[in-house]
Amino acid sequence: MESIKIKESISNLQDFYILSIRGLTGIFKRPFYSKDLIEQMDYAGAGSSVIIILVSLFIGMALSLQLSAELSILGLKMYTGKVVGISVIREIGPVTTALVFTGRAGAGIASELGSMILGHQVDTLRVFGVDPIKKLVTPRILSSIIMLPVLTIIGDAVALFGGYYISVFVSHQSGTFYWSSIKDVLIFENVFSGTVKPFIFGYLIASISCYMGLSTKGGAMGLRKSTTQAVVTSIIVIIISDFILTRVLLYMLGFSV
Amino acid sequence: MIIFDNVWFNYGSHQILKDISFSVNSNERVTVLGGSGEGKTTILRLILGLVKPDSGKIFINGEDITDKTEDELRQVRMNFSIVFQEGALFDSLNVKENVAFCLREYNKTMSEDELDSKVRELLRIVGVEDAIELMIEELSGGMQRRVAIARSLAASEPKMFLYDEPTSGLDPINADNICKLILELSQKERGFIIVTHKVFDALKVADRFIFLKDGEVVFDGNKEKLVKADIPDIKLFMEELDFKISI
Repeated sequence: MESIKIKESISNLQDFYILSIRGLTGIFKRPFYSKDLIEQMDYAGAGSSVIIILVSLFIGMALSLQLSAELSILGLKMYTGKVVGISVIREIGPVTTALVFTGRAGAGIASELGSMILGHQVDTLRVFGVDPIKKLVTPRILSSIIMLPVLTIIGDAVALFGGYYISVFVSHQSGTFYWSSIKDVLIFENVFSGTVKPFIFGYLIASISCYMGLSTKGGAMGLRKSTTQAVVTSIIVIIISDFILTRVLLYMLGFSV
Repeated sequence: MIIFDNVWFNYGSHQILKDISFSVNSNERVTVLGGSGEGKTTILRLILGLVKPDSGKIFINGEDITDKTEDELRQVRMNFSIVFQEGALFDSLNVKENVAFCLREYNKTMSEDELDSKVRELLRIVGVEDAIELMIEELSGGMQRRVAIARSLAASEPKMFLYDEPTSGLDPINADNICKLILELSQKERGFIIVTHKVFDALKVADRFIFLKDGEVVFDGNKEKLVKADIPDIKLFMEELDFKISI
């Protein structure tokens, strides 16, 4: 029984690799489903923007509050802007945006594809000679790769604004100094570190969600299971890959730890 | 011609089909009967190569399709027109776009006017031309099946129709209309395979009946034999018929 489970896990992993690679390479092969891509960009990007703005605003404000409180004990309150900037641009912005994106777009992808499996719509595509990976997976992967970095930049900007609001109106610091501190941290290393991650997170979230959705079996319970698995797996993979990417990027960009 | 040769199919650890063997000519009107979870839909999916058997062979027009790739299967699938359970229509598209889906995929040079007239023609055949601009959620169950049939006709010039529970969830009038449409479409020597658990509808349209029980074929014969069959499960199915007649 155990050996069957191990075999099944290896087979699932292999299927996942095949799907995610074919989904990605599909970007460069005909036919191109541009209408589906625009639809997905609208759903995943524009549709997620409000929630990401809201979450980023409060994260920026909470971060600024915490740092102001702690740094004022040390007499270093003027560094709030700098620490908020580095934290948001390098780490908190990309990860928070990716997590919110998973909850909204990832769950949506998994449940949509899952219900298409259960409703035999994916079978219908195959019968009509349409490759479901090209038609369904590739537009979702590409839209996530495009839209998650855009959302991350928007989220970062909003979080920095939230930090500004707390620093100036609650912590009574200079707004000019806050923005000049932010300007100081907007160097290539920080910006590169924060913008590389969303591309990879977007690819991972879309691939995992598509795979889980297309693996749906067994009615409403199966759909619930695959959607939950898509979100949980994506969250875990984002957190782990964030650590690995941070380690690699710090090394590449010459930061000493 | 479809041939199932000692086909076994498992779903995880659950055995769905056990050593199934039968053959169906493309002009035959066949119904596969059986309870839920007996593997009826799996038979249709095996015919189209959507799933592969764990063992055994499936031949379509003399060709073994068991080991064919997705690209090779495309040609095999052109022989069939399938209507899945509840239609399997794309709910993000309206009726016109659902029917036009294949036409757009296969015939990129077709103009919008040609496409529109082709879609209208297909919808006229199935009797839902007026619904052309409606979204799928605006259609009744019966209309959805009709649109699904129109869409399947747009895909190819099929030699055989496959229907998965075409009348399930429909009221008797709509179910009867679908049965009539199935018979109409089966003219010109084009046969069909219907999988259903509704014996009343099956008897209206089919000449041959295959009954599945516990993944095995327990009956294969014509209407007269089916009605007289001394198999407890078939008798249970027949009770539905007796009940309808007695009313």
